[in-house]
Amino acid sequence: MADDRTLAYAEALFSVARAEGTLGTVGDELFRFSQTLQGSDELRDALTDPQIPASRRQQVVEDLLGGKASPTTVALVSMVVGTGRSRELPAIIRKLVEMSATAAHKEVGEVRSAVPLTSDQVDRLTKALNEATGKQVDVRVVVDPSLLGGVIAQVGDTVIDGSVRTRLEQLKNAL
Amino acid sequence: MRRMRTLLFAALALVALFGFARPAAAQETEGEGDESPVEDVIHEAEENGASHADAECIEVLAEGGTVTDCQEAPNPLLPELNEIIWGAVGFFVVFFFLARFGFPAIKKTMNARTEKIRSDLAAAEAQRGEAEGLAAEYRAQLNDAKAEAGRIIEEGRQQADALRRDSETRLQAELAEMRSRAIEDIESSKAHAMADLRGDVTQIAIGAAEVVVQRNLDPATQTQLVEDYINQVAASRA
Repeated sequence: MADDRTLAYAEALFSVARAEGTLGTVGDELFRFSQTLQGSDELRDALTDPQIPASRRQQVVEDLLGGKASPTTVALVSMVVGTGRSRELPAIIRKLVEMSATAAHKEVGEVRSAVPLTSDQVDRLTKALNEATGKQVDVRVVVDPSLLGGVIAQVGDTVIDGSVRTRLEQLKNAL
Repeated sequence: MRRMRTLLFAALALVALFGFARPAAAQETEGEGDESPVEDVIHEAEENGASHADAECIEVLAEGGTVTDCQEAPNPLLPELNEIIWGAVGFFVVFFFLARFGFPAIKKTMNARTEKIRSDLAAAEAQRGEAEGLAAEYRAQLNDAKAEAGRIIEEGRQQADALRRDSETRLQAELAEMRSRAIEDIESSKAHAMADLRGDVTQIAIGAAEVVVQRNLDPATQTQLVEDYINQVAASRA
């Protein structure tokens, strides 16, 4: 039931963004907002608290994204928050990203790095992932300081882990 | 009753025989006419107190015998003829009545008594046999009861022994199991303690390593890590 609702919302957002012709931009902005939402407990609590009126929660979104994201992105996020589906927003955005990649005949590749990547690094990494997986990968970069160093890339079910944290875990398991 | 009557009759006959029978030599019939001179002498002698033996002697002398013949001792074995005759008559009379009445009754009585004794003996014998049979039966039952009691006692003893052995075996098994469980628990606790200690040491070591790594991961190292990763992915073609 939740999956059907998530899929429905994702399809709605996808349709709107594609209709506006801003699918790529909206997809990137929504993806970054999703990462921010998952990394901030305060923001998540503020947007999912049923005690707070929906209009207030929408105002929080507009204050947060106003001027930093496209109007379409702000409107779509505000719509989801207004309907009380803030808790499912990351899953909706993930579905949206997948649908965008599928529409472009690509597959979403989530890349987590301890430090931000330069565009050159992103391009080379995209090319390397395309050759490694045999697919056209739509790379989405997420900064995750908990990795300590290195990068983790996941394309579908394939995970290529080069993080310092994983190596330390392996060392701990070996000991 | 018949026996008493028979005995009474025999007694009367004997009394009649010996009570009223007189010696033939002394029997005289009074009123007989002419007596011989010998008889006169004899009669006179008897009047004068002569005994019968004297009278017989007078007859012997009259017949030509001598005094020695008069003094001949009577035969102790063979009595006088008249005595023999009368004795025989009386004997046969008594014998007749005894044979006719007495002997059958006596015989019948004796037979009845014999039969009764025989039947009593047979009954006693039968009872004795029955008693012996009962006694033998009781003895057999007593022996059976004793044997059964002995068997029950023995069975009880064997059961007690078996129970004791089972209890001992179970106790030993339980002790062994408890001992092995205790050893296992100790080993497990030891292993857990070692694992916990190892985990703690590892945690501390990794934590220290993380701190060291974090301190040494400057931007240049981070960039180098990213470059190494990109080169690694590029090298691993599908």
